[in-house]
Amino acid sequence: MDWLEQELKVALERKAPSAGFAERVRAAARAPQRRWWKPRPWMAAAAMLLVAFGSFEYREYRGRQAKQRVLLALRITAVKLHYIQQHARGSSEVHQ
Amino acid sequence: MTRRAWLTLCAFVLPLAAQQFQFHLEHLAAKASDAVDLSLNGPTLQFAAKFLDGDDPDEARVKKLITSIDGIYIKHFEFKREGAYSPADVESVRSQLKAPEWSRIVGISSAEDGENAEVYVRAENKKISGVAIIATAPKDLTVVNIVGPVDMDALAELSGHFGLPHLKESKPTRRM
Amino acid sequence: MTVLEQAGPQGASATLDFGGLVEEHQSMVFSVAYHFLHDRAAAEEVAQEVFLSLHKHLADLQSTAHAAFWLRRVAVQRSLDEARRRKRRPQVPLEAVPEPVARPAGAAPGDPLLGATLRRLVASLPEAPRAVMILRYQEDLDPSQIAEILRMPVGTVKSHLQRSLALLREKLQRRGVGEFGWTG
Repeated sequence: MDWLEQELKVALERKAPSAGFAERVRAAARAPQRRWWKPRPWMAAAAMLLVAFGSFEYREYRGRQAKQRVLLALRITAVKLHYIQQHARGSSEVHQ
Repeated sequence: MTRRAWLTLCAFVLPLAAQQFQFHLEHLAAKASDAVDLSLNGPTLQFAAKFLDGDDPDEARVKKLITSIDGIYIKHFEFKREGAYSPADVESVRSQLKAPEWSRIVGISSAEDGENAEVYVRAENKKISGVAIIATAPKDLTVVNIVGPVDMDALAELSGHFGLPHLKESKPTRRM
Repeated sequence: MTVLEQAGPQGASATLDFGGLVEEHQSMVFSVAYHFLHDRAAAEEVAQEVFLSLHKHLADLQSTAHAAFWLRRVAVQRSLDEARRRKRRPQVPLEAVPEPVARPAGAAPGDPLLGATLRRLVASLPEAPRAVMILRYQEDLDPSQIAEILRMPVGTVKSHLQRSLALLREKLQRRGVGEFGWTG
């Protein structure tokens, strides 16, 4: 082992945590299990995906709604035009 | 004119810019057993077009029609009893279509069932820029405004091709 | 002989004393995290997480030696996770590090300033070589033991060691620090 490795052994010697660490750990282990929610990047990514998915789903929903309204509008129009065309060919009074 | 007056004028004018005439029929909604109020401007139509199935013949036809349209505005009311709306209600719409840019191209009057229907076309620079339909029956009233360079052939083709759920047509009523 | 082979099964009925394991290994676990993260507070948090995880998995461990092996592995993993979460690789602007004082030839190793420099340099290594260096010089494990803990080929462990040492030497020499301390 050369000088650097010897220095590394000293530099990386184990260090003790702060006083009372072991007691705190034992106490935490005895306490009821609680989930400590730490912000995790994957949670943020998952949340963003959910939002994006939700936005996509909402857009799809709005799109389907818009489509149905358009179809209804043209259906109403078509019914009236159909009536007009029928009567234009028939015996009803026609003004042009 | 003061700035405030211009802004006030714009507030009234701008909402009209989409629809080509006022319907003035909101008061009928309270009396109607069924009411349809559709205001579909250009962006809404283009958005909806994306969801129309090009492989479905009817939807493809609609898609083709609405790509050139700037808006569709409809008020349709159905009533349980006759006389729920007055001739004045209809006249308030019709009078606007007497403006020079509008021409009535078809008018149907059926004494048998009491139904009347008129089609108006708006022309600007010798090109169609809008269509209006007023259809009345004893128990229903429909006003349609289609804004934009409407393909009249495509519009006429609509009737008889739709596979949509049937809209209940007013059944012919015999005048007593 | 691997660590696990050394541990050997001592029977499923062997009960492990959690409190005892905490007392015995708290410095080891804390130090792995501290040398990895170079942050005492973060290291204590990680260390506590490691022990709480130990508490959960105590029944799965077969011996005190197995527990020690398990703790080393989990301490490295959690430290690595924390380092990635913090998305921070300690930058070592060596200009900001005080110059180590000259160490007379033949003097015992342990210049505190050199030690501080080395700790910072180790903490700035990429994650895998960093873990290898800590297990080698803090825990005095040989490459095969390190390979088992880190689930890494022995050849890779040795390669990390060689390259990391070469890098540290180069960085120290640029700062005028050599075998006999300050080389002026």
